Amino acid sequence: MARLYGKVSKALGNNHIMRKLEPYVLLLPFMLLGLLFFLGIGNALLQSLGYIPALGLSELTLSYYREILQKPALLDSVKVSLAIALVSSVLATVLGVLLCAAMVHTGIAGGWRLQAIKLPILVPHMVVALFAVTFMSQNGLLARTLYQLGLLGSQGDFPQLLYDKNNAGIIIAYLWKEIPFVAYFVLALMSSVSSTLGEAAENLGASRLRTFFHITLPLSMPAVKKAFLIIFAFAFGAYELPFLLGATLPKALPVQAYVEYVNPDLRHRPYAMAMNSIMLLLTLAISAVYYWLLRKDFKGTGGGQYEK
Amino acid sequence: MKNKRSLFHKIIVYTAILSIAAPIMVLLLWSFASRWAWPKLLPEGFSLRAFDELFGPHSPVMPVLLSSMGISLGVAVLSAAIGTITARAIALYDFWGKELVSFGSILPIIVPGTAFAMGIHVVFIRLGLADTVLGVMLVHIIYALPYTVNIMLDVTRLVGDTHEVQSRVLGVSPSRTFIHVSLPQLMPGIMSSISMAYIISFSQYFLTLMIGGGSVKTFAVMMVPFIQSGDRTISSAYSLLFLASTAAVFIMIEALIKRFAFWRDKTE
Amino acid sequence: MELSLQNLSVAISGNEILKSISLTVREGEFVSLLGASGCGKSTLLKAIAGIIPQSGGSVIIGGKSADMLPTHRRGTVIVFQDFRLFPHMSAAENIGFPLKMRGAARSEYAKTALELLEKVQLKGFENRMPHEMSGGQIQRVALARALAASPNVLLLDEPFSSLDVNLRQDMRSLVLRLQREFEITTVLVTHDRHEALTMSDRIALMADGSILQYDTPEKIFQSPASRQVAEYLGDASYLEGFVKDGIFKSGIVEFPSDKPNGLYQAMLRPSMVRIAPEGDKSFRIAELSYQGESYSALLEHLETGAKIRTLIQSPCPYRLGDKVALSIDTDKAILFPANK
Repeated sequence: MARLYGKVSKALGNNHIMRKLEPYVLLLPFMLLGLLFFLGIGNALLQSLGYIPALGLSELTLSYYREILQKPALLDSVKVSLAIALVSSVLATVLGVLLCAAMVHTGIAGGWRLQAIKLPILVPHMVVALFAVTFMSQNGLLARTLYQLGLLGSQGDFPQLLYDKNNAGIIIAYLWKEIPFVAYFVLALMSSVSSTLGEAAENLGASRLRTFFHITLPLSMPAVKKAFLIIFAFAFGAYELPFLLGATLPKALPVQAYVEYVNPDLRHRPYAMAMNSIMLLLTLAISAVYYWLLRKDFKGTGGGQYEK
Repeated sequence: MKNKRSLFHKIIVYTAILSIAAPIMVLLLWSFASRWAWPKLLPEGFSLRAFDELFGPHSPVMPVLLSSMGISLGVAVLSAAIGTITARAIALYDFWGKELVSFGSILPIIVPGTAFAMGIHVVFIRLGLADTVLGVMLVHIIYALPYTVNIMLDVTRLVGDTHEVQSRVLGVSPSRTFIHVSLPQLMPGIMSSISMAYIISFSQYFLTLMIGGGSVKTFAVMMVPFIQSGDRTISSAYSLLFLASTAAVFIMIEALIKRFAFWRDKTE
Repeated sequence: MELSLQNLSVAISGNEILKSISLTVREGEFVSLLGASGCGKSTLLKAIAGIIPQSGGSVIIGGKSADMLPTHRRGTVIVFQDFRLFPHMSAAENIGFPLKMRGAARSEYAKTALELLEKVQLKGFENRMPHEMSGGQIQRVALARALAASPNVLLLDEPFSSLDVNLRQDMRSLVLRLQREFEITTVLVTHDRHEALTMSDRIALMADGSILQYDTPEKIFQSPASRQVAEYLGDASYLEGFVKDGIFKSGIVEFPSDKPNGLYQAMLRPSMVRIAPEGDKSFRIAELSYQGESYSALLEHLETGAKIRTLIQSPCPYRLGDKVALSIDTDKAILFPANK
């Protein structure tokens, strides 16, 4: 492939035109896939506005959105998704940062212990759902332990953490994956800040705790913010955990949307797409915030034609 | 005072490690448990029922596992390759729309999976890609790209292009320069990208379900109904198999890359 | 091969870095591009190699235009200041790399690598990795690698600046020896005038993207084209005065000159000034600093206040404040029109 490119540029003869074209050639696959991506999103948006020519619907309307936001059942779905995402992300961020700080301060930033903390990356959400059932169901290990300790009377006394409106099981399941994720994501930045500036601060007389809250943590915030936004957006729009561990009603938004989507009556399709679009618009708003907050990070330090 | 603080931190770290290891241990126990009823804390008996079922002569598991691994490896390699060249464009060139590309590359992480899947399903149907392996691979790649591009961006910036310039003035063409000078130095990042993309693809459920329909069966899709069924032994066995095969792939990737790293061409 | 630059211009982001440079380096010649940071000398080197695009003019190598040639076909090999050894290859592999890429057989390029290693006095270093070598060793491998590429033109971009001072002299001798042996047309970029003076067949003095003077070291030093050139090449002292009817007169010296009448400054190098055992003790030693082999002295004329620099061999019999007489060799004095 590279050799073909070499031949083409030799044929074209002009050194400088080829150089200008190079980045665009490199970006071709990315652009094509990006096109597919935007087609998918665009299509979802269009269908949410009622434009489904295959069904004879060709008028744009906001009526589906209105209905969703008015029907209490559907509005509940929105609330559930937001709640799960918010609670799990905030908790995961706080605890993840705590874990990261502990790792940095005990120098456990490498070796088998780091690999152990990275393990949850290998575990898919469906298996985490199984863990949740194994541990947190009324018949689970947690309940059994409490029973053996005499703290629990019977199975029924154990709180319903799964398949319940409180969605506690789902949140804890997200935490199992996301706390290590946040810790690992922030680790590189925090350990470099700590070893340079943190050390300097302690040298100047600041206590460990103060150094952490005044120097280390604030300077690690870019990574922390990024991590939070990533896990929030994910928890908000993910399907597997609410599907496997959620209550019958209200269903989380992604699950509810799928239910509408597979409904044999195709007139439910716009509802599905409207729900998807609500999720989409919310997370796009989040991306905009993400981009705006971290715009410095995106200005590439890119080379400029091989000059150094 | 320092020791107390250190101890506290150590407790946090090891608690975390314990919380991570414990469920996996329990998975192991459940996979071999014949009976583990309330209120026992350990299985009452062991059996190989699950493994007979999974690996038995009529079991569809192994073929599906192997084909899924193949699909995900394909996705991984392609995602790493596309990530590498995309990162190269962003890191080493100045061009119009650069910031947009940087920003656009992280969108698939942010955008909800269901929205994307349901949206693109119709598009794929029209393109004839729905219910095909190619279609599934394409969506997996779209999902893995933000990660691979990000990883390769860091690595590409670190390695820079100074060695490439040196190689070119020594008379080596740009393509050979890339293969013999840049690639060896980018290998650690490429390895990381392949691992990351593999796990993203192998773990996909909803996306594969949606785009693959009933035709493309991956191990993840096959596994879910068992998890829903309530048969903990079988579900645990499946999960164990998932984790073991993933670990095996990771180790294999590391070993392979180490062998081919630095492109010594000792075969000359 | 001969290297010829014709009206070569380079502009980056709208700024003119190189302004219509014309220069010819003869085959086998060693030329230095001398100048302060920012004068464009490194840019010139990169433009010759084709790494930076030219906005005008021509680069001609061996009689043929190289403008349309991509970098890897020009045969213009650069040794960079940071040496850039490939970290994943040993010394021998680094050196053999250009040959291997041209299709040479393993036995061939391995042998050449060993020979070149010996030439740069690194026998036995074949399997050393870059991170296992010192700065001086790395540079020699970089040099050997450049030679292995059989360059049409060898370009050296301040290659000695990152070395310990003591090492530099040895490296300079090595480079010169190899350059003469292989008869390679060479261009050295440096800001160190001593380096340029000792190594070059010719020096091109650059400032602000242009060449101020292009001549042999002796001519540039003794007949600088302007004050700027003179000052870059060495210490200079100036005596104010005027020329009238073929004689230059200042409060301190007088000598014949064929310059037109007007106000002038006479430039004196420290070597032209000596403390005389006899004569009018009209100078006071205003500064005296030890430099090892000699002392640098600043002498102030008691009447006019003019300041002249000179060197006094160690041991120095004078002290700060002493009054002395000077003997000035005005034959080599150069007159520049007076500054406004």
